[in-house]
Amino acid sequence: MSFLLTCPYCGTREVTDFAFGGEVNRRPRERPSLRELGAYNYFRRNVAGVQREWWYHRSGCRAWFIADRDTRTNDVLMTALPGELPGDAGGAA
Amino acid sequence: MTLEFLRPDAQGAVARSPMERQALAAGARMAVRDGWNVAVAYAGETPDAPVTWTDSSHLTKLEVHGRHDLTPGLASRTNGAWWCPITPDRTLVIGGARDAVEDHVDVTTAFAALTIAGPQAREVFARFCALDLRPQATPVHGFRPGSVARTPGFVLREDEDRFLMLFGWALGEYMWTVVADAAERLGGVPHA
Amino acid sequence: MSRLPAQPGQRIDRTQTVRFTFDGRTVDALEGDTIASALYAGGRRTFSRSFKYHRRRGLLCCAGQCPNCLVAVDGAPGVRACTEPVREGMAVEHLNASPSLDRDVMAVTDAVGGPFMPPGFYYKTFIRPRRLWPLYEKVLRRAAGLGRLRAEQADREWRTEYRRRHADVLVVGGGLAGLNAAVAAAELGADVVLADDGPEPGGRALVDGRHDHARALVERARQAGVEILSSASALGVFDGLAAVWQGQTLHQVRARRHVFATGVIEQPLVFAGNDLPGVMLSDGARRLVALYGVRPGARAVVATTSDRGLESALALRDAGVEVAAVADLRATPGTAAATLQRGGTEILAGWTVVEAEGRSEVRAAVLAPVGNGSARAASQRRFECDLIVVSGGVTPATSLLAQAGARTAYDPARGHFALAELPEGVLAAGDVAGAGGLEAIELSGQIAGGDAAHGLGLGDAASRTQVQALRERLRPASARRAPEAVAPAVAGYERGKCFACLCEDVTAKDIHLSVEEGYDSIELSKRYTTVTMGPCQGRMCQLPAVRLMARETGQDLQQVGTTTARPPWSAVPLGALAGRPFEPAKRSSIHPRHRDLGARVLWAGDWRRAYDYGDPQGEALAVHEAAGLIDVSTLGKLLVAGPEAGAFLDRLYPNRFSNLQPGRIRYGVLTSDAGRIMDDGTICRLDDETFYVTTTSSGAGAVEQWFSWWLADWRMDVRLTDVTQGLAAVNLAGPRAREIMRALTDLDCSSEAFAYLDGKRARVAGVPSLILRIGFVGEVGYEIHFPTAYGQDVWDAILEAGAPHGIRPFGLEPQRILRLQKQHILVGQDTDSESTPYGAAMPWIVKLDKDEDFIGKWALEHASEHPGETALVGFTLADGDVPTEGAAILDERGAPAGQVTSARHSRQLGRVIGMAWVPAALAADGASITISDDRRTLRAAVVTKPFYDPDGEVLRS
Repeated sequence: MSFLLTCPYCGTREVTDFAFGGEVNRRPRERPSLRELGAYNYFRRNVAGVQREWWYHRSGCRAWFIADRDTRTNDVLMTALPGELPGDAGGAA
Repeated sequence: MTLEFLRPDAQGAVARSPMERQALAAGARMAVRDGWNVAVAYAGETPDAPVTWTDSSHLTKLEVHGRHDLTPGLASRTNGAWWCPITPDRTLVIGGARDAVEDHVDVTTAFAALTIAGPQAREVFARFCALDLRPQATPVHGFRPGSVARTPGFVLREDEDRFLMLFGWALGEYMWTVVADAAERLGGVPHA
Repeated sequence: MSRLPAQPGQRIDRTQTVRFTFDGRTVDALEGDTIASALYAGGRRTFSRSFKYHRRRGLLCCAGQCPNCLVAVDGAPGVRACTEPVREGMAVEHLNASPSLDRDVMAVTDAVGGPFMPPGFYYKTFIRPRRLWPLYEKVLRRAAGLGRLRAEQADREWRTEYRRRHADVLVVGGGLAGLNAAVAAAELGADVVLADDGPEPGGRALVDGRHDHARALVERARQAGVEILSSASALGVFDGLAAVWQGQTLHQVRARRHVFATGVIEQPLVFAGNDLPGVMLSDGARRLVALYGVRPGARAVVATTSDRGLESALALRDAGVEVAAVADLRATPGTAAATLQRGGTEILAGWTVVEAEGRSEVRAAVLAPVGNGSARAASQRRFECDLIVVSGGVTPATSLLAQAGARTAYDPARGHFALAELPEGVLAAGDVAGAGGLEAIELSGQIAGGDAAHGLGLGDAASRTQVQALRERLRPASARRAPEAVAPAVAGYERGKCFACLCEDVTAKDIHLSVEEGYDSIELSKRYTTVTMGPCQGRMCQLPAVRLMARETGQDLQQVGTTTARPPWSAVPLGALAGRPFEPAKRSSIHPRHRDLGARVLWAGDWRRAYDYGDPQGEALAVHEAAGLIDVSTLGKLLVAGPEAGAFLDRLYPNRFSNLQPGRIRYGVLTSDAGRIMDDGTICRLDDETFYVTTTSSGAGAVEQWFSWWLADWRMDVRLTDVTQGLAAVNLAGPRAREIMRALTDLDCSSEAFAYLDGKRARVAGVPSLILRIGFVGEVGYEIHFPTAYGQDVWDAILEAGAPHGIRPFGLEPQRILRLQKQHILVGQDTDSESTPYGAAMPWIVKLDKDEDFIGKWALEHASEHPGETALVGFTLADGDVPTEGAAILDERGAPAGQVTSARHSRQLGRVIGMAWVPAALAADGASITISDDRRTLRAAVVTKPFYDPDGEVLRS
């Protein structure tokens, strides 16, 4: 695996510059049922296709951002700060 | 002041770079300057080496929070200091006078630094760093946060053939070894 | 030495002699020779013994593509003699033959092995009895293989350079197409790297008389600023990153455009005895002549499917080789046939070679006409010769392209798999792209270079028009391709072993058997027979294997398809992939002092730490009896500042921090949303808006990520600064610590003025410090944090001030004893990813009555009502037996129901103490637990309170 990611601040870097934060998984806003809590903590969609995920520029500016990545090809379609997602009022997690 | 314990202005004690012992082993003559024990000369230093490396860990480094109007990826030279934008609301100020910068966190001793200079400087970086430092990608005054020798770092292109590299203080000994090893193969020498 | 007169473009310098040894005998070579050309000139025909049958193998490709000339050089195996330049004094040795290359006792496997060694024979033969496998393995490994690594080689320091190169355009292949592409792109302003696997760029032009043209192009490329990497093999393309191995350097080229001009690989023919020394590819024979002035044979027979073989026949004839006959598979041979015929060569149209005769070298070739895809033996002809030149067509070298995402499809006209689709940013030029003929090859290179540069926004309207004009010239140029015939899958099948794969000794019959056994797809057959898996990486065998597969299964070649192209495309030493060792080792600023003191230094996470100074028990006792000093600079240190800093911490931790008074310290356990313990540490409030958070040494990075992750999501008015490496920290602890502090600081250190869990700022030994009164080790202690540049000076000052009081430095191991006496947990040692604060006996740290939501709240609410099956407790047992960490705790039925997480002997307490997860019912003072440790069974008593100073009176004093 040696694809490139574009940090919204620093620009394009090798993927090894970053830490993977997993797929975006919205934290319940209200008290969840036990089943909902279990699903939130332990279940992921794990799609074969475009997935919205968290990345952390560990070796650079140390900012978290969101990427849309095709898990089959590692093509990164978009990266953006959590508050600046296209078509989203915010609140990525 | 709440964070004065971050500020390296001791009375009596000498501030030392994490690369002090490597510098001594490489033939450095040391002297205390502004409270820091720094190399002032190296035995057998050749003036025309294709690349040199210099311990610049004593440079003041301040982290400033808050919006700034710097151009992303470009450092600005103001009053003897480099103002380096990390994010739109975080700036790293390198060198210059501490008191000229309001409201900062002193991170001088969080980052060790090496200056790598000479026509072969970019080749030295190529041995341990994936950053694109070609002029078309990193112009003079370009500032690049990114991995150096598998550890977080910042690279600032001070001049055509002169780069300042910042990295974690605790990695000083390791980084000296990496840089010296790469540079020596290209004819490089340490420089005071 | 039999050398030809000077050849135009030759690589050798006849005035310079180079001496080396082959199997101990001195060989005279010329400067510019390869090992193989020098040995061949001296008369050697056998260069190796094959993998399985130990058959003689001679030069085939002379281009570093086949496995036939692998030798060891100065003890390092796996060197290709045909491309390795000679060096004065080098010691070359054969591989895989004993006692010598020419008399190999293992060759008996060839005589008897045919019927007994079908594919998979050793899976089947050596499976029983299982206990004998280690013996079988030893024998088999010796019999097979490609040489052995000698001990002195293994011990040798292997140093490889890693070099990152960013470029606009990477061109792989330095033939005329690649050179033209590089020149075109560079002259439009692109930053171009060209990687060529030969010692000199030029490719085929160097052997077919156009070397001056090639050299002029190389010069033009240099002028345009192209960086040319010679003798550089492209190993693979990984998500756009190309790995190129050259000498001792692994170039990692990150280019924005890739031009592959990797050419074609001439294919052998599959016929009986096709591996006999003296059977040579037509390009290989020409290389020997043109580059090294070596005559490959006295009398040759040529078998070809295209003009390629005819051109070689002409070149050989010009070099003085008698060409007895040419079998041209085509019904109408090419125009060169007439020229050869006039010179006395017999031309057999529609014929091919069915057998090579000879014991150790070629003595004769048997030719026969071809019908319905296989040779008819009825009207065969036998020609005595010492050289059989074969040209079975070509296969485009698409492997790297395929790795970069290109697709291929079967081209029935040319009988091979040709490029069908290219991904964005990937271009192909020259033969590999199907450009036929000399002009087309150069045009396609110029077009690819221009396209690459234009794709990057370089050039202008004029240059675009120019490329368009080239494109229009390319079409008619490509159309001028001479017709070719498609080689039969195999000829002379019944006459003897017909090798499809030379690396792994796979014959046409083996493919037949593997299909019969049900391995009827090319990918399965590959894994079963190991065809294409040898050092040639399919260069010589992929197409023959696919053709044989098609023949056996009745499919067409498109249906059979090819195996997946995988790196490495070229053989590479493992050391190249390992690269330079980059092991970022963190060291405290006090580290030089630990070395001076003779500390045992071990890894702790990514830090090098002083484990002890030779006497862990004595060091621990000193902390109880006088004072000790430990370097704790590795602790994670985070500044959390801003108007919402307190609220932020309240949302992250299960307990409260917004109500912590400035100057006070509180312990915190960080939990995940599943309520599991992630890390712990102390938090000191410095002022209304600033908190100083310490984390475990190994958790520092993870905690910083965790904090900044939630901050990115919550977007609170909080600033984080990681000062882990900016501050050194030491813990001065023990009954004399207070007195020692008095000598170092003006601060009032009385217990009234500086109480337990106070955090104060003052100068210590003249150095600005933050001093935390905490008690990890159980005695009065001052954790002093200060700018790391003063590490050595502060350490020295404290030891000096403490000397009259009996201070001793102590390491990590004594600290572990001391903290265990207090039952202070080590996250990750005493807890795992399933541990909650409730299970870890810290229910008091969870404040479920907090109004606001916090991470882990819901899970902890559930956990508070549903106690776990096990709980973390202390235990003690009679002196002597220290259970192993990880030993099982047994339940009443003797089944494992928990485990020991920490155990030490405590000299202070005079017994063994530890911590363990035990069944919840046993988590009570005085309960008896059973520890099963290797073959011992130990009985221990549960202790739920600290072993030392259970009520904290010492700590608070």
